Amino acid sequence: MSACAAIEIRGLVKDFRTGLRGVKLRAVDGLSLSVPVNSIYGLLGPNGSGKSTTLKILLGLVAPTAGECLVLGCAAGSVAARAKIGFLPEAPYFYRHLSGRELVRFYARMSAVPSRVREGSVADALELTGMSAAADRRVGTYSKGMLQRIGLAQAIVHDPELVILDEPTAGVDPLGAAAIGRILLAMRERGKTVVLCSHLLGQVEELCDRVAILDRGRLVLEGGVAEVLERRDERLLVVSAWSEAARVSVEGALAGHGARLEAVRAPRVSLEQLFVERLSRAEGKGGEVR
Amino acid sequence: MRMRCGCLSRAGWIAVNTFVEAARQRFFAFLVLLGAGMAGAGVYLRAFDFGGSELKFVADFGFGGMFLFGAILAVVLPAQVFFSEMDNRTALPLLARPVRRWEFLAGKFFGVWVLLGVFVVLLGCVLGVMLRLRAGELAVAAVETGREAPFLSEWGLVVFCLLQWLRLGVVAALGVVVCSFARSFLYAVVVTALAALVCQLRGMGQVAFAREDAAGWVRVLAGGAGRMVPDLQVFDLGVPLVLQPGGVAWEVVASAAGHGALYLPVLLGLGVWFFVDREI
Repeated sequence: MSACAAIEIRGLVKDFRTGLRGVKLRAVDGLSLSVPVNSIYGLLGPNGSGKSTTLKILLGLVAPTAGECLVLGCAAGSVAARAKIGFLPEAPYFYRHLSGRELVRFYARMSAVPSRVREGSVADALELTGMSAAADRRVGTYSKGMLQRIGLAQAIVHDPELVILDEPTAGVDPLGAAAIGRILLAMRERGKTVVLCSHLLGQVEELCDRVAILDRGRLVLEGGVAEVLERRDERLLVVSAWSEAARVSVEGALAGHGARLEAVRAPRVSLEQLFVERLSRAEGKGGEVR
Repeated sequence: MRMRCGCLSRAGWIAVNTFVEAARQRFFAFLVLLGAGMAGAGVYLRAFDFGGSELKFVADFGFGGMFLFGAILAVVLPAQVFFSEMDNRTALPLLARPVRRWEFLAGKFFGVWVLLGVFVVLLGCVLGVMLRLRAGELAVAAVETGREAPFLSEWGLVVFCLLQWLRLGVVAALGVVVCSFARSFLYAVVVTALAALVCQLRGMGQVAFAREDAAGWVRVLAGGAGRMVPDLQVFDLGVPLVLQPGGVAWEVVASAAGHGALYLPVLLGLGVWFFVDREI
């Protein structure tokens, strides 16, 4: 097993028995992958592809049928491994009767954060996730996006080495999603490892160093984002002051090298990029955004 | 030692959180009001004493309310704070932390049990006040008519309340065992209620099956099966403890307390055994 792997999975199999006759349903089928330390790793796949089951096995919430999993050198699911992990489940539900601060403090206690640094850790986690202002409100009054943020705060309050996030931006507006993205990048800069499960492929592409695509419990593709997305024999040129005459010249020059101009399109920004830019500009001017 | 402190600390904080969560529920407040109302109403319904001692009727009414509503709480609360936590997935971020399954289960149980203690204390106070007021009135009437004043032991009531707390703890532990493998809220509540009913009727069943004229194998089977479930009727010492001058021999009280103290860890151990491999 690799010494610099945060997660090492070998031949993982998980069968669920369903119905009265105990028919086997294979959720994970011989999965092997390795997540390097200090990276953001995207785990992708359609619903039912085995992503969440794999994460639950790593966290000890579900027992594997076969295979081996190590988390930062400890057996997956062991108390030692779980002490090093922060986890945000998909569509998280938290104790509605607690305030955001009390909730994060409760999880800090559960992770044995020493009492002398606990309040500081709680305040830092709330600050980092932008929840300081709403920290004393009851969780039951939070919007979906705020629940995701407080969920992220509880996941990082004990400064874990590995953070596992299942759909962290589901229900979060683009500004909030961008803020969560910045937090993940900052965590990587501090040497942490992040495993991200998301259906928002644009965000995964933007944030992740490596990705794995699962389908029906099997690994379909794994590698560095640039490596798997790049078309090796094609390049994109962005040209200013474009004209029809320039096009003819370029085609001629390319033909001289045996190459061919395949398409000419105006560059576009993504809708998400446009949304974030415009709102950031409006906020910068002090304008009210609705 | 340090690790044990950490375990107890985590279980303790889970218990505190469970207690606060359960105490905030309207269901708890509703049953406290119903139970207190029943304990208080006994004084006004004493005309229906069926020829027994008036104070005994008032006490029986209060004891009945304490067990009835306490048992409902002890059956429903574990499903609300333990099963629902798995059902609505609040358990996921908790069990993904360095929290052992037994710490989680123990925290849930003790949170519920402490709340049941609050319930017993509240109803015990109401019942004690009502009994003392009526016993005072009956004592004055007894002096006027030259009869003997009725006996009332406050200490007996305290001991009775402690025994009821233990009894409700056994019911709550049954609930925790059922919740540790239940797959639906309704299943958890119904099966716990049935289990509590079996425990309540255990003594009667043993007497019925262990008759002299019963077949030997029936008696052996009834004796063996009987020991596998707690007997909730051993805690029914209210009238002799509170209203009889001779009280109850301490061996009987100790035996009832020992019965509860024996079954509580057994049931919790069984719950942990089921829960430790449960897939969340």
